[in-house]
Amino acid sequence: MSEPVTIKVDGKEFEVRPGELLIKAAEDHGTYIPRFCWHNRMKPVGMCRMCLVEVDTGRGPMMVTACTNEVVDGMTVDTQNEAVQKAQEAVLEFLLANHPLDCPVCDKGGECPLQDQAMAYGPGESRFVEIKRTFEKPIPISELVLLDRERCILCARCTRFSEEISGDPLIEFQDRGNKTEVNTFPDHPFSSYFSGNTVQICPVGALTAKPYRFRARPWDLHMVESSSFFDTAHPRLSIHVSQNEILRLVGIDSEPVNHSWLSDKDRFGFEHVRSENRLDTPLVRRGGELEPVSWSEALDMVGNRLGLIVEESGGDSIAVIGGASGTNEDAYALSRFARTVLQTNNVDATMGEGPSAHFLAASIDRGLIADVDDADTVLVWGPDLKETHPTLYLRVRRAAQELGVNLVVIHPRVTGLDDRATATLRYRPGGGHELLSDLSDGSHEQVTSLISGKVVAIVGQASLADDPGLAESVAAFVREKAGTPRIIPLANRANIYGALDMGLAPDLLPGRVAYGPEAAPEPWGEIPAKRGLDTPGMLDALSEEKIRAVLLVGADPVGNSHEPELASDALDLAEYVVSIDTFLNDSNHYADVILPAAGFSEKDGTITNLEGRVQKVNKIIPAPGQGRPDWSILDDLSTVMGKSMGLGSPETIAKEVAAVAPAYQGISWDLLEWDARDGAVVPLDGEQPLTHIPVRAKGTKAPSAELLLHQGRVMYDDGVRLRNCHYLSRLAPGPVAHIHPDEAKRLGAREGVAVRVVTSKGEGEFAARIDEGTPEGVVFVPLHQPGAARLGTDPVVRVTVVT
Amino acid sequence: MSMWSQETQNRAKEIISRYPEKRSAVMPLLYLAMAEEGHLTDEGMEEVADWVDLTPAQVRSVASFYTMYKRERTGQYLVSCCTSISCMLLGGDDVLHAIEDESGVPHGETDAEGLLSVEHVECIGACGGAVAVQVNYELIEGVTPEKARELVRWLKKARPESVNTDEMQELFGGVKSFDWGIKEEDAAVGPYPAFQPLGTIKSAGDS
Amino acid sequence: MGLLSELWRGLKVTGSTMLKTIGGSGLVTTEYPKEMRHKPQRFHGRHVLNRYPDGMEKCIGCQLCAGACPADCIYVRGKENDPESPVSPGERYGYVYEINMLRCIFCGLCVEACPTEAITMTHLFEMSTTNRQDAIYTRKELLMDESGKVPHMFPDDELADLDELNTADGWLRATAPSGVAAYEGVQMWQGTPGAASWDPEPSQEERDRASEGDDG
Repeated sequence: MSEPVTIKVDGKEFEVRPGELLIKAAEDHGTYIPRFCWHNRMKPVGMCRMCLVEVDTGRGPMMVTACTNEVVDGMTVDTQNEAVQKAQEAVLEFLLANHPLDCPVCDKGGECPLQDQAMAYGPGESRFVEIKRTFEKPIPISELVLLDRERCILCARCTRFSEEISGDPLIEFQDRGNKTEVNTFPDHPFSSYFSGNTVQICPVGALTAKPYRFRARPWDLHMVESSSFFDTAHPRLSIHVSQNEILRLVGIDSEPVNHSWLSDKDRFGFEHVRSENRLDTPLVRRGGELEPVSWSEALDMVGNRLGLIVEESGGDSIAVIGGASGTNEDAYALSRFARTVLQTNNVDATMGEGPSAHFLAASIDRGLIADVDDADTVLVWGPDLKETHPTLYLRVRRAAQELGVNLVVIHPRVTGLDDRATATLRYRPGGGHELLSDLSDGSHEQVTSLISGKVVAIVGQASLADDPGLAESVAAFVREKAGTPRIIPLANRANIYGALDMGLAPDLLPGRVAYGPEAAPEPWGEIPAKRGLDTPGMLDALSEEKIRAVLLVGADPVGNSHEPELASDALDLAEYVVSIDTFLNDSNHYADVILPAAGFSEKDGTITNLEGRVQKVNKIIPAPGQGRPDWSILDDLSTVMGKSMGLGSPETIAKEVAAVAPAYQGISWDLLEWDARDGAVVPLDGEQPLTHIPVRAKGTKAPSAELLLHQGRVMYDDGVRLRNCHYLSRLAPGPVAHIHPDEAKRLGAREGVAVRVVTSKGEGEFAARIDEGTPEGVVFVPLHQPGAARLGTDPVVRVTVVT
Repeated sequence: MSMWSQETQNRAKEIISRYPEKRSAVMPLLYLAMAEEGHLTDEGMEEVADWVDLTPAQVRSVASFYTMYKRERTGQYLVSCCTSISCMLLGGDDVLHAIEDESGVPHGETDAEGLLSVEHVECIGACGGAVAVQVNYELIEGVTPEKARELVRWLKKARPESVNTDEMQELFGGVKSFDWGIKEEDAAVGPYPAFQPLGTIKSAGDS
Repeated sequence: MGLLSELWRGLKVTGSTMLKTIGGSGLVTTEYPKEMRHKPQRFHGRHVLNRYPDGMEKCIGCQLCAGACPADCIYVRGKENDPESPVSPGERYGYVYEINMLRCIFCGLCVEACPTEAITMTHLFEMSTTNRQDAIYTRKELLMDESGKVPHMFPDDELADLDELNTADGWLRATAPSGVAAYEGVQMWQGTPGAASWDPEPSQEERDRASEGDDG
């Protein structure tokens, strides 16, 4: 770190880091210099000229842009003398020369930097009396974003974002001179996963979001901070509400997590909250039909029945599936309810997907998102981050592009990060273990040589064909190669890391403690000793009729299953199924009682993200109808069943968690609301109660068929929340099969033609997508698409063109 | 699967190989795309984007910034008349009007036959020989309205296969800014500058 | 004695006033519903939503009135105009417009805030209702019809004074917005609600010219 330099801004002297931009240094010390084009998280361009200040470095005063000039020792800056004011007035007069005065109908009106700065620094009147340039009023440049070119002041924030940050420059300046406009290429919409960020950073109303169009004005919004439930990195955001309706989400600049960026799924996924399909009253199945009943009736019914089953057959005859969709408080209540009231260890929040619970919750040397910034090498061997973990994707992309971090990407097909990767490796779906042993045997030297120094390994299940344990083996391999790498194990599902930390796995207890009857938290009393089953185990036990009752908490084993018949047959055999959920899902066909739950923005609590960061989420609207948070439903159930947990409120649960869960000691709502607004990484003292050292699993042999099936998650799928989003539900690609052009030639398939994909477990028709990113001999099918057949996990596949 | 001819593809490969980064080749490739189809079409720009690993929007951004990339069909002869300050003072506007009047083509447009396009341009660096006019970017200096009319009539009637600056200067030019004393061998074919990699050049040696 | 004379002085005033009112000339009260007192021109009465001469609504649903309202009694929601059959000029119109007259303090800030002069006030002040629901005026009650007529809540009431509803509150601008004295007293508002028929506001150029003349 070099010596700080002293600069003087408007007579105030302060020390700043050399090399810092003047506009940033001044802002950090309390002097705001007006700007349009400069953005804290992007490179400066000096396009708008609004930040002109007078700088004297010993050669006399000069008018320079504060956003493109770095501070130097002894710099004297004047940000508001007469000359600067005159310059600011002139710049604003020019910017407004063509800017329409339609502020009253503009969605940005009231929170518009151009409005604000024209008021604060503008001349008040304009000398331009000529007719302003006009364009067609808003043109849709994507399914989500509207562009009003009249309002554009050509600051290049959106175009820079899409080139520098998200890496899909689908909008650019077109034409020149006074005809310059921002636009897309004809018939190439701005279909970026991150397009909503351009709306957020646009300093005028040129880019507006369709879901927010004309819905409200800034002065009738009230807002609260929260985190997104879609992406397991939990990007921070602010929920804007009017008349008890969420109208938009805005990213918050959280240094350790999301740098103010949100993916479109995080940003526009709130639409499901007000969906008319939300459950708003308890439902009971009578004679095959679901009938609304009162809470007391439903709770009595469920409590008595579950109590009876526990009494008759013991807790082992009850399965608890899910719990990853709520807050940590909900998960803790469920964990305690299952162990103490239902007397069962059959609890699983992972739904049998991805790496093991121990690895996810307690991996040694757990990495942070920010660790990728100062790593030597980032290894990504897991799902396509752009599709599944967009916040992490942007962070890794930035590290590779701007910070000179080596990036190694290993995936069966092209990923969003490949264009910034130092090295990429492809492997055949299911062949991960073989590639791994090749790597440890010393092949692919140019890749393995990169895995040294400070390494961050981001590992997860890349393809459905891969062994879920592969991620752990990769982590073990990186540990062999690089000593103490940072490991970020990836999983999907909203608050899975929090749920596991609360003990929602057969072999875990709250606070990252290995399960054992002696380790039971004090207030819990006695807990069952027998080891529980995971989700596939529970479904098997259901088929064998060893389990009588199932409690689904925000879980859809049928919808999530790759072999839905197995799951639905198992649930069909269950004697009693209770579901706590926000929507009716595919599994609820088998439910006897369905209890409506409160969801995103409808409850207070904490959640834990993939790096173990605990953040506070807040309630701002009531749940529809009689929906209630999970913890309160479970608390009442426990009272009905005579073993009251007495949880009281989410805050008292949080206090109980801090008291009984070793990893969560010191976490309180006060801390998260005041001192740790960006969240706090647990355990606060860094000492893991349970450390899981990754082990190399014995590899399965790669299947050796000519054509292999690679199934992976993509951003938009048929998840129950996305299905109920008006705008996002249209963005799912649907049933498609990606095929390499040469492969397509061999099959005789052209773009868009129907092909029949057949595996040992399923078959269905898909539309062919000719895609050079998918290697020859591989068919890529996005998972969980609306209308798509389930193909099972077996990668051996046959593809024929439907004639 | 390129839509370009094999020859153009070979040229494109050769051009891209000259640069350390592919995207640097976007401008010469745009000329290629233009020569291939007569003007820059959306498909041509998409093709260029594929070649240089940019998005079509970025390619279009470059193509629309420079006025010499024609995104509309241009005639066989592109007559450009300078109307910047020196030429304007010496009657550039009159010359432009004469050209428009004689050809019947308003500036910025092309005649129905596809023979002549007329445009006014900003300074083309021949202020000493104002008024400057170019045909397919071959320069004629010291043009008067009368000479301009003659030029248009000649283009319409003679329809030369290629145009050469010295030849036209002799026929229609006036005061020259500077005499290099070297004969210009190359002549331009089609509405493009005489440029070897594009194949739009015709040297005196060629017949 | 002093006391008697003081009493006499007081009763004299009472007595003479009593005699005057018996004669009928000195009445200070009016027989209100039958007889109306004259209201000053700028009297702030019930609101009305105006239209342009071509029948288009002036309200663009921008919610500035709601933002300006100190009593929080206005609720507006905007919606996108159908380009085929627009309700108002431009992209947006006010598709929900409600004023809670029980909350309204008739300050007129909504009128000042309105960028399109869509909301103005009339002289009607009788708005008593028999239930709270009726005190919430919606677009149906506020918006004038295409002929410029303003709907009355109870048009059949024999005491309803429809003329009052058709008298604008005569809100005048004493000077031009920039305070140019040359425009003092120039009326930029008309006396009746409805389609504009007053002089358009001067352009900035004209104003500049006028102010230059002023200086010289």
